[in-house]
Amino acid sequence: MSAASVSPAATRARLAAIRVQLRPATAASLLVVAFLAVAVIAPSVLTSGSPTTIDLQHTLLSPSFSHVFGTDDAGRDLYTRAVYGARESLGIGLGATGLAMAIAILLGFAAGLARGIVDAVLTRILEVAFAFPVLLLALLLIAIRGPSVATEIVAVGIGSAPGYARMVRGQVLHVRQAGYIESAVALGHGRWVVIRQHLFPNAIRPLVAVMTLGVGQSIVWASGLAFLGLGVAPPSPEWGALLDAGRDSITTSPWLEIMPGLVIVLVALAVTSLGRTLQHRLEGAAR
Amino acid sequence: MTRFTRARLVAVGSGALLFSSLLAGCGADAPATGAGAGTGTKVQGGTIIYGHEQEPPCLYGGWLQQAYIDRNILDSLVTEADDGSIKPWLATDWKVSDDGLTYTFTLKPGVKFTDGTALDAQAVADNFAYWEKGGNSTAQVSIDPYFASAKALDTTHLQVTLNKPYLPLLTMLTQGYFGIQSPTALKRSDKENCEQPIGSGAFKVKEWKHGQELILVKNPDYTSWPATAKHQGPAIVDEVDWKFLLDPVARYASLTTGESNVIYDVPTVNWKDAQAKFEVQQYITPGKPVSIYMNTIKGVFTDKLVRQAFAYGADRKSAVEAGFHGVIPYENNPSVSQSTPGYNPEVAKAYPYDTAKANQLLDQAGWTTRDSAGYRTKDGKQLEVRFAFPAGSVMTGEGSTVLQILQQQWKQVGFNVELIPETQAETFSGKYSSPDSYDAQPWYWTSPSAAILWIVWRPSTKDSPNYNNSSFYDNDELGTVIQQGNSAATTEEANKFYGQAQQIIQDNAAAVGLYTQTSSIAVAKNLHDVWLEKSQGEPVFSDAYFTK
Repeated sequence: MSAASVSPAATRARLAAIRVQLRPATAASLLVVAFLAVAVIAPSVLTSGSPTTIDLQHTLLSPSFSHVFGTDDAGRDLYTRAVYGARESLGIGLGATGLAMAIAILLGFAAGLARGIVDAVLTRILEVAFAFPVLLLALLLIAIRGPSVATEIVAVGIGSAPGYARMVRGQVLHVRQAGYIESAVALGHGRWVVIRQHLFPNAIRPLVAVMTLGVGQSIVWASGLAFLGLGVAPPSPEWGALLDAGRDSITTSPWLEIMPGLVIVLVALAVTSLGRTLQHRLEGAAR
Repeated sequence: MTRFTRARLVAVGSGALLFSSLLAGCGADAPATGAGAGTGTKVQGGTIIYGHEQEPPCLYGGWLQQAYIDRNILDSLVTEADDGSIKPWLATDWKVSDDGLTYTFTLKPGVKFTDGTALDAQAVADNFAYWEKGGNSTAQVSIDPYFASAKALDTTHLQVTLNKPYLPLLTMLTQGYFGIQSPTALKRSDKENCEQPIGSGAFKVKEWKHGQELILVKNPDYTSWPATAKHQGPAIVDEVDWKFLLDPVARYASLTTGESNVIYDVPTVNWKDAQAKFEVQQYITPGKPVSIYMNTIKGVFTDKLVRQAFAYGADRKSAVEAGFHGVIPYENNPSVSQSTPGYNPEVAKAYPYDTAKANQLLDQAGWTTRDSAGYRTKDGKQLEVRFAFPAGSVMTGEGSTVLQILQQQWKQVGFNVELIPETQAETFSGKYSSPDSYDAQPWYWTSPSAAILWIVWRPSTKDSPNYNNSSFYDNDELGTVIQQGNSAATTEEANKFYGQAQQIIQDNAAAVGLYTQTSSIAVAKNLHDVWLEKSQGEPVFSDAYFTK
């Protein structure tokens, strides 16, 4: 394709995309996510310590050069624990969002494609489920199954699925009206071919950004559950568990709450920011 | 605080060190003087806002949290003074037969329950029958199998007969579980009795807002205060708002902001601050301390050598000091805490932190190889310990820190300790109560007497299984020695047997000591004569008053 053949509108879209990429917030978010990725894959690169090593001679030290996040009441280095906690926290965030999306796609497509009575029943069920706060559903599941990483993933996943399912259903209803779907049907493609090759990819694309946003939200919810003492078992350095462990000392050793809290906020912000960026780009691509 | 037991929630409490010097009071109309007394003008009436911790499922029952409440609404036959002696309450006098089998109580005449029913000898006999058939699980196990019958000789004389001598009977009767309820009220439904027990105490239940607070109002016709009361007459304040504030930060903040006048269980991180700003009292509870039961019939702890290695393998004292910020005492005697009459201090010297000894014992037990993670193995099986702990009830956040420190130390000698926090629902349902469900589990059980040894460690039989023995440790010799203590003629003789029993438990490492069950209160400086009674530290508000 020659340069002369590129339309002015397309050029403007590409320039806008580049500007989005260069936004400082996006760059900072990428930096945080990169740091997070290293913490998940190779935490020993970021810290030489162990998240469980106790040091009773150096308990409850405030942040300093030797302990940038301070130490807890067992003398454990809080920065090291936060770094090692990334794997579990992010795992819960991704797992819960993935589960929520799987449920949402199943129910959303079933409702959007079947329509009629199936749609009506599923929509009512989703509306009822939507009425329950995520944390309430999660508490119910944890009360039945007991606290663990798997329970947290299932609890947050199921709790956040109804919202996604409604979005999927809306997307399916929207896309199935598109001209290219009608064309594919007119060309004689089979029902499943149309769904697999045209409907599914186009209905799902906008959800990729939403899913990214959901990861940050799931991390926050999982941390909230752990903060309530309903998360993973000690001595896990999962971020919510760190918050829970420091709660009793909030007035005397506030760094035990502030540092893991900042980590959670930072990661949630970074992931959300990237999700927004992705959303904008995908919307731009769609245009 | 008492422990929950297996399928049921059982509790036993007991008396301990009462910091009476802080609590010396004055008569109802006397000027406020003395240690702990106010320096301002004494006020009649007012409402005490009390920030408590846990909320029980019923107001009356066998859990210490229930006894705390019941102490303020029910009266008992006898009470315990600071020196451990038994003092009159509803019973003004009592006589014990020479063979120790018959107790004859003389009751204070003219006392009435708040529903108008007469509190006479028959009413007390009815309560004994109620306890014996399980109306209060802790009261039941505290007199079983010694209690035979109770009968009214006339309106003011009650005769209690035993199957065999039971020296600690009167001491056990001082616990709040033995508060006397109106027999008329007991005929109501279980739900009504749960929501509003009727006694003859200084307060009565006005309203229980579940999840929030219990409102107690003054019984203006109160006539039956105990000999240990700090004033004569009905309660001085009009009302006590007993709020359930489980979160320690919120509880302490309620006191510092003036939203409450007194709180229970001062967080150890705030202890120094509380000492400076408020009147504080710490109560080291007698009975079984917080110690670790080890499953002696299934899993790795069936081997005594492994249990002993577990005891040697961690610096429990340092862990307790770190976790509780030096506020809660370490207790190495697993069966009886240091504030219990009959405590054997020699027992507390066993199993000092000694990793060399722990390693040698584990080698001797055949756990000689280690896997890639550093844990010991034997015949391809890892030395794994499933350590379940009731998080938030028996084990606070501070206790959880202690366990995490110990976990790392046990790892050094080769134990893979998996910490399993139990939710309250799991604890109540008894999920971790069978021998298949755990290897180790910490519990406490408060009691004013070393007779707690019988409740916890009596041998289990087919006809009478002992669900309170969470180590499942059966030892006939131990059972015999404890019974000899219970039926001894003198306290000195009883303590000798109780001491032997403690030694047997420690020698066999049937449990591992950790720390004393300790409760505390912090009281605003304009509120006076809130005190913790002796048997198990139940907070008493009937003498309390404000100054301005």
